[in-house]
Amino acid sequence: MLKDLIRKFTGQKNTKDTAKKRLQFSLIYDKLEVNDTTLTDLQEDIVAVISKYFEIDKDALELKVKRDDDTSALVFNTPILHVKRKPA
Amino acid sequence: MEGKIIVITSGKGGVGKTTATSSIGAALALEGKRVAIVDMDIGLRNLDVVMGLENRIVFNIVDVVNERCKISQAAIRDRRIENLFLIPASQSDNKDVLTTAGVERTCKQLRKEFDYIIMDSPAGIEKGFENSIVGANEAIVVCTPDVSAVRDADRVIGLLYSRSLTPKLVVNRIEPQRVERGEMLSHEDVMEVLSIDLMGLVPMDEQVLISSNTGKPLVLQNDSKAGQAFKRIARRLNGEADLPIEVPAHKTSVWSKISQTFKLK
Repeated sequence: MLKDLIRKFTGQKNTKDTAKKRLQFSLIYDKLEVNDTTLTDLQEDIVAVISKYFEIDKDALELKVKRDDDTSALVFNTPILHVKRKPA
Repeated sequence: MEGKIIVITSGKGGVGKTTATSSIGAALALEGKRVAIVDMDIGLRNLDVVMGLENRIVFNIVDVVNERCKISQAAIRDRRIENLFLIPASQSDNKDVLTTAGVERTCKQLRKEFDYIIMDSPAGIEKGFENSIVGANEAIVVCTPDVSAVRDADRVIGLLYSRSLTPKLVVNRIEPQRVERGEMLSHEDVMEVLSIDLMGLVPMDEQVLISSNTGKPLVLQNDSKAGQAFKRIARRLNGEADLPIEVPAHKTSVWSKISQTFKLK
């Protein structure tokens, strides 16, 4: 109980608060993790859609998840070889 | 009317799944229901020894699923609690021996013969886990108030949701004094982190080990706090959904009363 008082006045944190905070962060990160199969499937789908409009260099394209401290972005980078003209 | 299949799962091992399964099953039988407890941990069976029925195994769940015997031949009747049956796991097979279709068919048969079927899922999220949830109508996730159990529970909850099951949480091995001292996550903390509804709170209890030593049902020990908590969980499952959830507490000292008044926590 004396420890509680000391903690109260020194502003020290309970270890369970640390545990809770760490858990909340790790669960968010866990959910942002994408597995390789998902990424490969997504890449194939994106290529199929883009190929309807553009001719792209399939060997040079890259798809990845970029993570910063508080954001997560999907980056798709591909060189365009030609624009496909649709008959009007 | 068809029976209900309830799967007890956790992701992490060693959080009290087997204790929860055997106790909830036994308590439901004490409520007058016909209950089958099924050990789905193929290759690592334990429910039989925890329930004190290890000497009476003839057939197991793999025999049932592969149609080598009838359910009634594999179900071991508990002699102390009426209407309580155990279908043990196989100890020699490995986890891949069961097919999803076979388990589904067995689940249908079980629902015809019992009011409640309690499935003890293996730890992990592989095939064994998938097999234990394939026929489930309800799911209970057991976790202890520590970071690894909570994180694994989160993963399992996600998987259950993706199978259209809305699980409820049992927080096991709560130590009220340590929660009060701020060195153990409270059940509110765990619920908040997991955003999930509660099914029950079970205190740390020395009786759990003692009753597993002897193979006697925990719920028959009236002095067991955990046993009483599991009985209340069973009542909640069995129609008394509004039965209040008791928060484990220890005898409050003068000091803790004072500190509570001044909100020192």
